[in-house]
Amino acid sequence: MKQSLIRNFSIVAHIDHGKSTLADRLLQISGAVAKRDMKEQLLDSMDLERERGITIKASAVTIDMEIDGVTYMFNLIDTPGHVDFHYEVDRALAACDGALLVVDATQGVQAQTVANAYAAINNDLAIVPVVNKIDLPGATPEDAAIEIEHVLGISVDQVQFVSAKTGEGIPELIRSIAAHMPPPKGDPAGPLQALVFDSEYDDYRGVICYLRLVNGTIRKGQKILLMGRGRTYVCTELGKFRPKMTPCEQLAAGETGYMVAAIKTLQDVTVGDTVTDAVAPAPSALPGYEPPKQMVFCDFFPSSGEAFEELRDALARLSLNDASFTYQPQHSDALGFGFRCGFLGLLHMDIVQERLERECGVDVVQTAPSVTYEVQMTDGDVIRIDAAGDLPEGTKVAELREPWIDMQIITPAEAVGSIMQLAEQRRGIFKKQEYLSPTRVMMTYEFPFNEILYDFYDKLKSMTRGYGTMDYHVIGYRASDLVKLDILVNGKPVDALATILHRSSAERRGRRIIQRLREEIDRHLFEIPLQAAIGSKVIARETIKALRKNVTAKCYGGDVTRKRKLLEKQKEGKKRMKTVGNVDIPQKAFMTVLEPEE
Amino acid sequence: MTTSPTVRALYVHVPYCHTICGYCDFYSEVLDTRAAPRLVRALTAELRAQRSRCRLEPLTIFVGGGTPTTLAPDLLARLLAVLAEPPLGAELEFTVEANPATVSPQVADALASAGVNRVSIGAQSFDPAELRVLERIHRPEQVAQTVRHARAAGIDNINLDLIFAVPGQSLDSWRRSLDAALELEPDHLSCYGLTFEPGTPLHEQMKGGRIRPADPELEADMYEATVATLAAAGLRQYEISNFARPGRECRHNLVYWHNEPYLGIGPSASGFVGGVRYKNVPDTAEYVRCLDEGRSPRAQQETLSPEQRARESVMLELRLVEGIDRRRFAQRFGHDPAELFGDQVRRHAELGLLEIGPATLRLTRRGMLVADSVITDFL
Repeated sequence: MKQSLIRNFSIVAHIDHGKSTLADRLLQISGAVAKRDMKEQLLDSMDLERERGITIKASAVTIDMEIDGVTYMFNLIDTPGHVDFHYEVDRALAACDGALLVVDATQGVQAQTVANAYAAINNDLAIVPVVNKIDLPGATPEDAAIEIEHVLGISVDQVQFVSAKTGEGIPELIRSIAAHMPPPKGDPAGPLQALVFDSEYDDYRGVICYLRLVNGTIRKGQKILLMGRGRTYVCTELGKFRPKMTPCEQLAAGETGYMVAAIKTLQDVTVGDTVTDAVAPAPSALPGYEPPKQMVFCDFFPSSGEAFEELRDALARLSLNDASFTYQPQHSDALGFGFRCGFLGLLHMDIVQERLERECGVDVVQTAPSVTYEVQMTDGDVIRIDAAGDLPEGTKVAELREPWIDMQIITPAEAVGSIMQLAEQRRGIFKKQEYLSPTRVMMTYEFPFNEILYDFYDKLKSMTRGYGTMDYHVIGYRASDLVKLDILVNGKPVDALATILHRSSAERRGRRIIQRLREEIDRHLFEIPLQAAIGSKVIARETIKALRKNVTAKCYGGDVTRKRKLLEKQKEGKKRMKTVGNVDIPQKAFMTVLEPEE
Repeated sequence: MTTSPTVRALYVHVPYCHTICGYCDFYSEVLDTRAAPRLVRALTAELRAQRSRCRLEPLTIFVGGGTPTTLAPDLLARLLAVLAEPPLGAELEFTVEANPATVSPQVADALASAGVNRVSIGAQSFDPAELRVLERIHRPEQVAQTVRHARAAGIDNINLDLIFAVPGQSLDSWRRSLDAALELEPDHLSCYGLTFEPGTPLHEQMKGGRIRPADPELEADMYEATVATLAAAGLRQYEISNFARPGRECRHNLVYWHNEPYLGIGPSASGFVGGVRYKNVPDTAEYVRCLDEGRSPRAQQETLSPEQRARESVMLELRLVEGIDRRRFAQRFGHDPAELFGDQVRRHAELGLLEIGPATLRLTRRGMLVADSVITDFL
């Protein structure tokens, strides 16, 4: 295949704007997939992705596209659509030369449209703007195109209007891709440099590396070197996704495909690494990626103690095909043995939890999420902590720093006032506000990351009646008046309920947590004080009064068996609770701190 | 059976009532006068079958329900005559449950001449509004009338059942019911906190929000008032819900609380014989069919291990004010309960809910109020 006929591109879009439908349509039109094999959203291979309508793992598909008698090779590299997966978006884009920026004709530009467009621009990609869903009754394609011009500075004239669902406008789009996206550069005869832009784990073949050939040619049977790790392997299989894995003998500069090389675990491959020839290596590696940074942490505990090993195995299994979350053993006085897990963001955390329960059948108790804080010690050291329990003693701490994010919110104009109020409550710093159209506004804020951990997105959604969207990225650490909030039940601090937060929110949060606890914990045979405290200073308190009456009035001959079974059942229920300071705390109580505030 | 144990207590369930009360979860149905003779025949058949399996020498007989006194007097007399067949223990306690509107002088005479010497009357309340909430059909003044009829027939051991924590009831109103009951000089009072049993109409009403259960604090106050008032009137508490003049404690019910064997016959009746707990089918028609066809009417059966028996003993005997007799328990189960359940005993003693005496283990007054929470720990 001549390099000039290759096009490597991604589709980027806000969630639900039709990225996957468009990809499916391109596959179908090229003949890569027979119509009867079309499943909706072919590229999303996990059930969960299909259900949530989001793409978690990047995929890469090669399709032959005939245009005016000339056959082009389109390599379509799919990207995740959600804010948590910027990192994956970035590494997918690094393997591309162009991007289709898809905007829903009924919804216009959204927060992730903006974020994704900027990511593509930063990667020097040629952008072909696409307004999709023009067949829908409420579609206003022209308005959407104007918003694209307004926000991103891409001329309305370049916009392709399509319906991925009906196929309308698709032939024109295909021509536009061939015409406006550049072919790859690179020398097929030069020293081998192939970028590993993704990897996945297959039970039978081990790790499958997704490659973008930048220079040179890789052949089956070749001895290769992973430059970053300095380890050599033999390439046992090469191929392309069409969209099923289809082996081939070689891949040359400009092409994308996959490589199997008897690599045992995902941890053996760094995504972003360069594959080169082991005998005649390239003089330098390609610029790699920053490794993914886990920004959100929480603990997972098995809901019953015996399931610890099950949970451990399940996490190990999940990490085989998602190298972007971390886990390490954790012990809590209240919840026993579990794991501290790190995630790219909140959605990523939800997805991992759901996959644990769905794919692995493990029920977990999840603690309140936390971000990573920086602690400047008085001795000059800087340590990073993500659990309240790890906060060093006050006298050793010179300064605490928390991560801040830059956030774009796109909202109907009438919600601006309430969003400003919400932002103020969450210590947001207003940066700017732009009208995309007379009725839609893009607001830019800076927030401490921990202020959006709990319920920010839910609140934004309800304030904007579902129309508001947001996207964010971390911009750095700033000094902050942070405190550790302890929750004491019957005088004993419950480690799993301790949190780090800003002093100004401590009292409100503390009060709310103990009020929730009071509702969740049953009366006991003794009075139970509940306290929220910063250090030794109690900032909120509640009391659960002692149980005064719990007695079966009638117990005669006919009641004995029934009563025994009833009491035994109650006892079983009690066993499943976690006991702190003689108090039985239902597992649900540990989740109440996660629930949105009224 | 070769090792047939001697059973000293007999319970007979007569499932008929004139109407079904909204709070009641005993198996009962509206009286069917044509089916009633068949039921009595079946009860007789079951009793005869049981007598051939175990040695029945009752010291106590308790006919409950339902409302046994809804049976026609001659039918009732026929049933009682079968029950009172010898061998009977000396000093037999023979109780029949009755509702206030169901005991005419004729019924009272029928009871007395069959040997019945104790009547348990479902008074429940002396407040007409509360009786309506409970769906009781009698009027308050009929309680006194029933007591008079029983005494006139020579039955001098009278129990009244009362219910407190009725939705809408005040502490004062409860005290008035207690006083009204005491005025009748009963030998025995059973005072029950109203329980919303799942499956009853009352429970449905609560779930539907149409009635609200009493505040637990008020219920506890009522309970404490009960204990104090009755003690002052000479009715000593001997079980969580039961009070009696000295010597008038219900010996039949003491059999249950001491976890001793008893034979139960009739639809839905339970029994505990030879370490086996059983329950008959809770369906009168099916029960009658079983006995007509010579089949066992038992629907459930469970053989208890010695450990289960020991735990049940704790569960039941802790309900008694005198508590668990440590030596008798040790004789029966091989362990002193204070050692066998060392941790639980210590914990609850520290909370002031359990009292460890040299000879006994018993709940304190405060412990009685939370007996279920304490007992759960022993199971």
